[in-house]
Amino acid sequence: MELFFQDLVNGILAGGIFAVIALGFSLVWGIMNIINLAHGAFVMLGAYIAYVLFSAFHLDPFISIPIAFVLMFGFGYAVQRYVINFVVRAPMLTTFLLTFGLALLIVNVVLVIFHGDIKGITTSYSGANFTLGPVTVPWAKFLTLIAALAITVLMQLFMTRTKTGRAIRATSMDIGAAQLAGVRVAHIYAIVFGLGAGLAGAAGVLVSMSYSLQPSMGDPFIIKAFVVCVLGGLGSVEGALIGGLVYGILESFGSQWIGTGLQDAVALVVLLIVLVVRPRGIMGKATA
Amino acid sequence: MAAEAASGATLRRVGFGGITGSRGAFFACCGLLVVLLAVPSLHNGYIENLFRGVLMFATLSLGWNVIGGYTGYVSFGNVVFFGLGTYTTAMLWDKLHQQNIAIAIVTAMAVAAIFALVLGVPILRLRGHYFGIATLGIALATQEIIANIDWLGGGSGVTIRQIDNFSLYYYAMWAVCTASFLATFLIARSKLGYAFVAIRENEEAATILGVDPTRYKVLAWMISGMMAAAAGAVFAGANGFIDAPTAFATDDNVFPIVMAILGGVGTIAGPLVGALVLTAINETLWSHFPEIHTLFFGAVIVLVVLFLPRGILWLFKLRGGWRGFIASLKVYRV
Amino acid sequence: MSGFLVVENVGMRFGGLQALADVSFTVERGAVVGLIGPNGSGKTTLMNILSGVYKPTAGRVRFAGKTIADVATHDVCKLGIARTFQIVKPFANLNVRENVAVGAMYGRAGGSRSTAGALDRAQELLEIVGLARVADRPASDLTIPDRKRLEVAKALALDPDVLLLDEVMAGLNASEVDEALDLLRALTARGVTLIVVEHLMKAIMSISTAVIVLAEGKKIAEGAPHEVVSSPAVIEAYLGSRFAARQAQLAEFAREASEALRVEPHAPAS
Repeated sequence: MELFFQDLVNGILAGGIFAVIALGFSLVWGIMNIINLAHGAFVMLGAYIAYVLFSAFHLDPFISIPIAFVLMFGFGYAVQRYVINFVVRAPMLTTFLLTFGLALLIVNVVLVIFHGDIKGITTSYSGANFTLGPVTVPWAKFLTLIAALAITVLMQLFMTRTKTGRAIRATSMDIGAAQLAGVRVAHIYAIVFGLGAGLAGAAGVLVSMSYSLQPSMGDPFIIKAFVVCVLGGLGSVEGALIGGLVYGILESFGSQWIGTGLQDAVALVVLLIVLVVRPRGIMGKATA
Repeated sequence: MAAEAASGATLRRVGFGGITGSRGAFFACCGLLVVLLAVPSLHNGYIENLFRGVLMFATLSLGWNVIGGYTGYVSFGNVVFFGLGTYTTAMLWDKLHQQNIAIAIVTAMAVAAIFALVLGVPILRLRGHYFGIATLGIALATQEIIANIDWLGGGSGVTIRQIDNFSLYYYAMWAVCTASFLATFLIARSKLGYAFVAIRENEEAATILGVDPTRYKVLAWMISGMMAAAAGAVFAGANGFIDAPTAFATDDNVFPIVMAILGGVGTIAGPLVGALVLTAINETLWSHFPEIHTLFFGAVIVLVVLFLPRGILWLFKLRGGWRGFIASLKVYRV
Repeated sequence: MSGFLVVENVGMRFGGLQALADVSFTVERGAVVGLIGPNGSGKTTLMNILSGVYKPTAGRVRFAGKTIADVATHDVCKLGIARTFQIVKPFANLNVRENVAVGAMYGRAGGSRSTAGALDRAQELLEIVGLARVADRPASDLTIPDRKRLEVAKALALDPDVLLLDEVMAGLNASEVDEALDLLRALTARGVTLIVVEHLMKAIMSISTAVIVLAEGKKIAEGAPHEVVSSPAVIEAYLGSRFAARQAQLAEFAREASEALRVEPHAPAS
């Protein structure tokens, strides 16, 4: 019974990170209709930024979060504006392959600079836990969850309360109408992609605190991000959060019962069930 | 007018034009395949491996082309069929001490067909991005599952004893590639090809015109899977060893797609041309920049997608010179 | 007693929206039925039900001894029903002849045709609709009127007994409309039953043998064209209740006036 609660808590803690990763992925997918296969690589970059800042300046990772966000935002903005923009309205295959190629590039550049050996960030509180009844909660993961929730709330406020946020939502609803209303679509798209990259970078910092780093670490996150988006419903911040938490829990129980090597299989089964039973996800709106 | 109609009728009977593509490209590829038959007689192991690779990738690309190019359902996980093919050969040797390549190919094709049939009915109801990622998920999940089953070799993989006449693997791969090429040609000029293309162009209209979409999509996926599995069956023997990462390698998943794009998606000659060109590029990069060749490969993918989305062969049909080319690039911008 | 094409109490509900309610009518073989009504009245929904794209949530449509909803959408053409779409999207990467050939391959007679046979049949049909001159051009090159012709040809490739035409004249100028009407008359002459959705009154009046009027999902009138068009319910549906009331008043005045002006001839004295 204690195992049940431990698994549940572990799932929630992991789910927070999944939610932030999925949020960036969902933003780009929902608004620009692009599945960014380089999203995992962006997460990895965020993790490496945290690593560099930690080893060079002893900067606590939590402080690196906004720094990584800003750096990755700029990177994402540039990538969209000057590379992806060329094919933003092309058939899906084109953007799939383009982002795949970018991922390959990014991962290999990192490989060249940092080499493939596994790195990690160990802070003073890395091993510290507190207990909640029968459950052991690592401090690092708990703070990660708090940070993830904070990021989610900030994103929601941004999308609903700021002018840019509203322009973004307008563009996603009707690009023609948005243009007529004076929205500079290329700029908005670049901002959206930048936000997606920024969120990925922030998530990467969170990941770096609990997982080890290597250039290929981002790969598994793409499928998970996809499943979370489908599970939670595309195009909503709450959807990404709920989807992330639910998925985290499912994966936690799944690896308990089936074994940790089969996480992708679990993800896929969840994905297929959701797609067949309720394609719009938990929070999604039914589309025409 | 009558002469026009007559020659048009002749062309139609022979089966060129429209979705079959140009006569020139087809016969050039036939010539290429004939030439490739001569490779083993050069008695150069490196060259034989290289061109066996070209034939393998051409087959994978031809297979992907059936579901992704002609039918318009972009699969991002067709490597699963290749992997199933490799494991078929591995198991035939490991459990039954069966080395016969032909038996391996046929069995692998049967496995792939069943797999595509069973999974295809639910999966092919998904469109666009969903289908692409679902196929990717299937490939990753299958890899994981197989890696976790000890009876299949688990983490350590399976060794396959190779036949003595090693060049037979080359000829087998050649046969698989040629059969796939001819099958693509026959499909393109038959009613089946029209069903696939109609589904790609407008699935609702195709349904109203009598094309059962589920049936034909599944059929397309089965055909593409059988081609990939056949290639995998031969590869396993030639490689002598199979484990999950080798069987389901990302390269074998993505390269065929890039090759099809490079050569021209939805054409018969495209995959073959793309396989040749991309292998040439890859080999050049390998020999000059061994450490960072993957990095350059990523760059190649990006460049191909940005500048040659419709493939090399389309460049020959493009009118308007440089300005026409640049204009064609701006079409998808915002 | 079975009619040729019988619509029985058909209703269609999408979530909270009742798009069609209790629509019934019978179509005779060889008729040209005009289906009219204001925007949003459910005409296209009805077309979708007749062609098997939607299954009605209430009622049924019977044709050729079968209930259409029981047949898979891709098999409906084998019963003998074909349709055109309002928003025309041809198979862009095929040429015009190949576009038409698809139906010839997979439609009613498709089983017995080879690819070459289907392409030949397509060529025949292109002659009928007047597209033979562009048979080899990519379908994406066609002008709007030619695309509409192509839609009709594609549907004809199915050798249909019933052809459903969904606003096939939208976007055509006056002379193109006349050509389209000639084509429809030619089809009727070949024995095809037509159900035509149109906003163009002139077109409906000139070729329909019967007219059905839908408004807000219900059938509000059915009958010969001139009867239906002057029916108060129809005028009200299209032009509003105040206009309909004024029309009714004017009709009343006209009747009284003509009565008042009627002079009884005196019997001649003798």
